[in-house]
Amino acid sequence: MLRLLLALAITLIVAPAAAQDDLQAILQTHAEEVANPGRRSVGALIDDLLASDLPSVPVFLDAWQDREVVRDSRDGRFFIAGDEEDGVVTLLDIANGDEIGTAPEAALEEVRPNGGVRRVIGGALVQFRLSDPDPRARQRALASIARRPDADQIDPLRASIEEEDDAGILAEKERLLNILVARFGATTEDRIAAIEALAGEINPDARAALSEILRTEDRVVPAGEATDGNVAGTLSLPRAEAYGRLVDAELAPPGVSPAEIRDTLLANVEAGAVAGTRLADLDTDTARHAAYERLSETGRAAPFVSDEEIDAAIAAHSFEAVFLEEDEAVIDAARATLGSVERQVALNRAADLGLDALSLASIYFLAAIGLAITFGVMGVINMAHGEFIMMGAYTGYVVQQFVPDYTLSLVIALPLAFIVAAAAGVAMERLVIRHLYHRPLETLLATFGISIALQQLAKNIFGTQARPLTSPDWLGGQLVVNELVSISYIRIAIFVLALAFLGLLLFILNRTRLGLEVRAVTQNPGMAASMGIDPDRINMMTFALGSGIAGIAGVAIGLYAQVTSEMGANYIVQSFMTVVVGGVGNVWGTLAGAGLIGVLQKLIEGMNPSNTLAAQTYMILFIILFIQFRPRGIVALRGRAAEG
Amino acid sequence: MSLLEVDGISVSFDGFRAINNLSFTIEEPELRAVIGPNGAGKTTFMDIVTGKTRPDTGKVLWGEDNLNLIGRSESAIARAGVGRKFQKPTVFEDQSVRENLAMAIKGDRNPFAVLFGRRDDAARLTEIATEIGLFGRLGRKAGELSHGQKQWLEIGMLLAQEPRLLLVDEPAAGMTPEERTQTTDLLKRLATRHAVVVVEHDMDFVRRLDCRVTVLHEGRVLAEGSVDHVTQNPEVIDVYLGR
Amino acid sequence: MADATLTGPATVPPIRRTSTMIFLAALAVFVLLVTLLADAGMISTSTVKLLGKTLCLALAAVAMDVVWGYTGILSLGHMAFFGLGGYAIGMWLMWARTEAIVLADMAARTLPPTPSELQDAIGSQIFGVVGTSDIPMIWTFAHSLPLQLAMVVLVPGLLALVFGWLAFRSRVAGVYLSILTQAMTLALSLYLFQNDSGLRGNNGLSGLQNIPGFETTSQATISIAFFWGSALALGLGYLLFAWVVSGRMGSVLRAVRDDEARVRFLGYHVESFKLFAFTLTAIVTGIAGALYYPQAGIINPNEIAPVASIYLAVWVAIGGRGRLYGAAIGAIVVSLLSNWFTSGGAPDIDLGIYEIRWTEWWLVLLGVSFICVTLFAPQGLGGLFDLLSARRRSGRRASYGPDTGAKRPEEGAE
Repeated sequence: MLRLLLALAITLIVAPAAAQDDLQAILQTHAEEVANPGRRSVGALIDDLLASDLPSVPVFLDAWQDREVVRDSRDGRFFIAGDEEDGVVTLLDIANGDEIGTAPEAALEEVRPNGGVRRVIGGALVQFRLSDPDPRARQRALASIARRPDADQIDPLRASIEEEDDAGILAEKERLLNILVARFGATTEDRIAAIEALAGEINPDARAALSEILRTEDRVVPAGEATDGNVAGTLSLPRAEAYGRLVDAELAPPGVSPAEIRDTLLANVEAGAVAGTRLADLDTDTARHAAYERLSETGRAAPFVSDEEIDAAIAAHSFEAVFLEEDEAVIDAARATLGSVERQVALNRAADLGLDALSLASIYFLAAIGLAITFGVMGVINMAHGEFIMMGAYTGYVVQQFVPDYTLSLVIALPLAFIVAAAAGVAMERLVIRHLYHRPLETLLATFGISIALQQLAKNIFGTQARPLTSPDWLGGQLVVNELVSISYIRIAIFVLALAFLGLLLFILNRTRLGLEVRAVTQNPGMAASMGIDPDRINMMTFALGSGIAGIAGVAIGLYAQVTSEMGANYIVQSFMTVVVGGVGNVWGTLAGAGLIGVLQKLIEGMNPSNTLAAQTYMILFIILFIQFRPRGIVALRGRAAEG
Repeated sequence: MSLLEVDGISVSFDGFRAINNLSFTIEEPELRAVIGPNGAGKTTFMDIVTGKTRPDTGKVLWGEDNLNLIGRSESAIARAGVGRKFQKPTVFEDQSVRENLAMAIKGDRNPFAVLFGRRDDAARLTEIATEIGLFGRLGRKAGELSHGQKQWLEIGMLLAQEPRLLLVDEPAAGMTPEERTQTTDLLKRLATRHAVVVVEHDMDFVRRLDCRVTVLHEGRVLAEGSVDHVTQNPEVIDVYLGR
Repeated sequence: MADATLTGPATVPPIRRTSTMIFLAALAVFVLLVTLLADAGMISTSTVKLLGKTLCLALAAVAMDVVWGYTGILSLGHMAFFGLGGYAIGMWLMWARTEAIVLADMAARTLPPTPSELQDAIGSQIFGVVGTSDIPMIWTFAHSLPLQLAMVVLVPGLLALVFGWLAFRSRVAGVYLSILTQAMTLALSLYLFQNDSGLRGNNGLSGLQNIPGFETTSQATISIAFFWGSALALGLGYLLFAWVVSGRMGSVLRAVRDDEARVRFLGYHVESFKLFAFTLTAIVTGIAGALYYPQAGIINPNEIAPVASIYLAVWVAIGGRGRLYGAAIGAIVVSLLSNWFTSGGAPDIDLGIYEIRWTEWWLVLLGVSFICVTLFAPQGLGGLFDLLSARRRSGRRASYGPDTGAKRPEEGAE
């Protein structure tokens, strides 16, 4: 209807009043044909309409096809029927949809073209729509063809290609033409050429068209006999299903299920017994079979089909899948092309998975790098690290409450999250961890105490429900490479953030005085202290840095997930594993660990996408095994220092 | 005949060659002193023999059957009869002197044997405790002992293990002159029945041991012979004694 | 003094034996008291169940103390064994009860059910919630109490044996090992969360408080029976561990905790001893779980989430490591307090501007007190008893125990 209105609008602007008369005139010339069209004879009328080149023709064709055209039996003129009220119908002008009068319902004849005619009309309409001056209308027309491909659409589509001036739509049209020709083309050569032209296509239409050509139907054939048609392959079906098909094809008697046996026995209970067996004894399948057999011998039950008979019946038949398509050359071409398309699809899926893995790895890297720094430098496992992530995320949320502009709030939130988390980290280091150096297991537990306290505090302050951290508009949406490969801008931003921090950390550790001192403390705390490096200060700085990065990671994670008091806890075990797998005290190690875990998790998910729980389980098992072979992680420090 | 034969071992850490094609033999019984400057590979040498570090190349052959010790665990090597005394006294400070010694006394080390085995160590315990002069302190926690007493406790634990080869790392460190004499006597006495390798820094102490000396430098044997012989070797003077 | 202690089994420090006697006596008095009070109707059935469950947790904590306080392995996965024990017994409880219900249901039918009909009915009863009626392989022995009881011991034991062998063999130690054990329990709980794990996914096993064969017995009686059972298990477990940690075994275990490299040079195969302690404590923890969940009535994968195992470590730390009674006291005190606070038993405090509701603030309090214990009282609650007994003992006192024993170079590098 919308389409109609649109067309009407256009018509109103372009069509002069005279045009209306011309259209009506043509219709009057073929009045009988319009009122009562036949599939074969309607061609002349359509040709005349097309030849008239009137802009109002598609409007009329649309209404005609939708059975909205009526004929006033008093003067024989055609109108579009409007609203009906108390038996009086509003008449609309056939060319521009203006109200031009009313007529009693009884005076109007409905024009009802049959299915064949409507297809012809549709073909004509397609041509109009495909040449519509509005590119969006043309795209809609293409989409509607793609939804319901049809042999009749080939010619109008081909005709419209010549006039197409939009390069994008032209490509789309040519692709669609290939799909149509591949399925409905007149000659084998045409079809094969079209099929081969689809080789590079990875979109679902092309694949659907190819699989449509390769569609098979299952047939049951007596064993050893050949079927007519192109056999795609022999099916090996589960026993029950195979027999079910034989029964459906009336090639075997229906089997008797345990439930049917039971019902039959129940229907034949006589004086506490069935066929001579007491009810109490019918508590095994064997006894029930025996009783049923006796019933069937006396004709009171359908014959029992034994397992042997079922097996024999199945063995006597073969179940084959036969192509619906008859042209063998086309099948071969479609098979080959589908194979190459599927390879292409698999490659693209892999690329998409790779992007996912990369972004997951970035998140793990951001979440784990702070932990890796503190663990590497101080040998301290910080169980509250996840809560620093949470703090960062809540900082972002609070900033958004005060700064409504999402871009600006993000710009404020990132450094603020760093400061808040770093301050919390320093406070924790000063108050707790400093007193527990050289007692790593106790540090682990004390920081766990901090972790549960912080989590509960967050719950008390912000409530238990998830809080949104809205990303600015320019981070919405996704970068679409093609139909299969895409990545959201947020993930790209997180990736960039991770890269930035990798660079920043490498710079700090390798190019600054602080980095030199940190490395010295990491490798030999005693020696570093004797060289005048204050390990206390280094530890504090390290903790501030590590916790601050966790805060930033919190903002990043909050942007694509949601902010809850438990969000940190969800990442903490993965972060630990990233650090352990990567190897301690090394930025590259954490990068390698994050990469391995991210890729691995996506890979396992890719193999079994429905079950992310299983994916995580297998990943952890893999990590446990991995630690067996590389107890010190991927990037291990070697030598005497490492042996302690 | 030789009890321990170290044959052409090399090991490097991150490109640094700690031991370079080192060969070394010790008889049973024999007392041997190993000296060398810092970084000569003395500790690494002991680590390799006791199984803590695995060399890149070479063999460590043990006993009459020429058993290769490379690749065996520390505990298996210890059970085979290699005892080690650390430079810093390492005893279990939270446990009594008696518990420390009882743990060391030779016997089945299998967990179930340790759990169910009820054997009478009292006589052996008394004997060792008397020998190291800690009989009166059997009930004390090892952590409450003086530094010297800890050294003696560790030597006692070494004796209790009844090893055939004793690797002793700087036994005289932190001892009073009187204790040093006692230690020298003990080591000499032990060397009448066992193979004893003493790693030492202190030249006077080595002189008093009056035994064959092996000088290590940069992971290989620089010289070997009597104290007088090696102290006159110009190379040795150059790298070690001369400084 | 030296002469007196030289003869006889001199390696058992007397303090331990005394503490064992006191602990067992206190336990016996407690059991009697609770039984009498329950009999007189002064404490409710649910309180008896709570106390019974607490005793099971205490047993798990004692086991945790052996593996952590004595052997130095901070396992953050022992509640996985607890849960596995619970699942093992829960399978039988659920199966036997469902079987009884199904049989009762089918008794009214004209045709007696066949074995396969029975299986199907039980299957759809139990697994209907996860959308299947097929009985998974792991339920093969669920019909048999003796076999499932064997599972209570075998499943945690084998898991601990395999996991421990892998981990100790590659010399994973210290915080690395802690994280690895945490990963183990996380993997297990995630696995059990799946519907096709065969253990009803996140629904878990339920109705475990109904003991098959005792349908007519009141829950009051059952709860007392389980309370006794739990107390007996705690007593026996305590004795077992007191025996293990005394004598030369205890000596070696503590030595492993303080300096495992040195123990190796004494000729002990450290990994075997760790594996022994890890597996034995896993088995006992599994048994504790098997007693706990019939009293709790329900088990689901949440119970073996990593945080549960950390709480176990928290109890042991608050109670005081390296003392079996400390672990038991820590578990009892903290879990009862936790229950009191979270169930709304503690009165809220109105500060005028803000009302402190303990259901919300308990975890904050626990977290903070836990930090304080770690910082200021590393000996834990059990340390108080040491102060008492120290007055009776002569000589200098110094602590060289687990509090200073865990050294960083060992942890960080290996």
